[in-house]
Amino acid sequence: MSQSRVLPQSKEALLKSYNKKLKDDIKSMLDNFTEIIKLARGEEDSQVSKITQTEEDQYEMQVRSANIVRAGESLMKLVSDLKQFLILNDFPSVNESINKNTAMFKQLQNECDTKLLALRDEMAVELFELEDEYYSSIYK
Amino acid sequence: MSAPVDKLRELETIETDIANAVQSSGYALQELAKEKPVMKQVETHTTSFMKTLVEVERKLTKHINYLTQVSTGQPHEGSSYAAQKDLTLAYHRIDHITSSLNDLGRLSAEPGQQVSRQQISKSDLLQMSD
Repeated sequence: MSQSRVLPQSKEALLKSYNKKLKDDIKSMLDNFTEIIKLARGEEDSQVSKITQTEEDQYEMQVRSANIVRAGESLMKLVSDLKQFLILNDFPSVNESINKNTAMFKQLQNECDTKLLALRDEMAVELFELEDEYYSSIYK
Repeated sequence: MSAPVDKLRELETIETDIANAVQSSGYALQELAKEKPVMKQVETHTTSFMKTLVEVERKLTKHINYLTQVSTGQPHEGSSYAAQKDLTLAYHRIDHITSSLNDLGRLSAEPGQQVSRQQISKSDLLQMSD
């Protein structure tokens, strides 16, 4: 009983972690983009020389751009994890898929058997005539 | 209830949207980095980036909420193996009948040869009528 309660908690914790990861990544992308736009303003007053400030801004922009790309890749990984979770745990969809496949297999099997029965009936008629011919010939 | 494949397709669309969002942000910054940036372009790309991000967040939140409602702690143990096996056996029946009919066709298509009693024997006829 305690074991069956542990599993749902881990699934719940996993989904909560997905939610948190989603929010963090979206926030990261937005914040880093905003900060890059702010840096592009190029403020005049600074305690270091202009060249140094420019270098610093350039480095910061590179880091923030890398953060945006990292957040994007993290979102892609999240989508991949959600796909996996969906395939394994979305019971309504899995049930529907199984029922659909089962119905399709049964229908194909019924078609095969119906055709075989029709073939048997035709063969029976032909064999009746063949037997008639055989037993009234000199070769029996 | 939407088909299971539809949900997976939606997630694939979300992946494309994420890539488009990153691309839009790149275009916006690229335009801003020019000597004479066209502000309208920058605004267009920035708006596109923000809208796409909001849409991605909305859709992913919807999926996560749906999974929170339907997921359980147990593994799914259903399968369509039984029906699949029955179909395989039906195909085997068809193959068996096909080979028997091919043999019969070959026997009956030998013209001019005297058909000996061993070839079409009584047991063959009884077997075929069964």
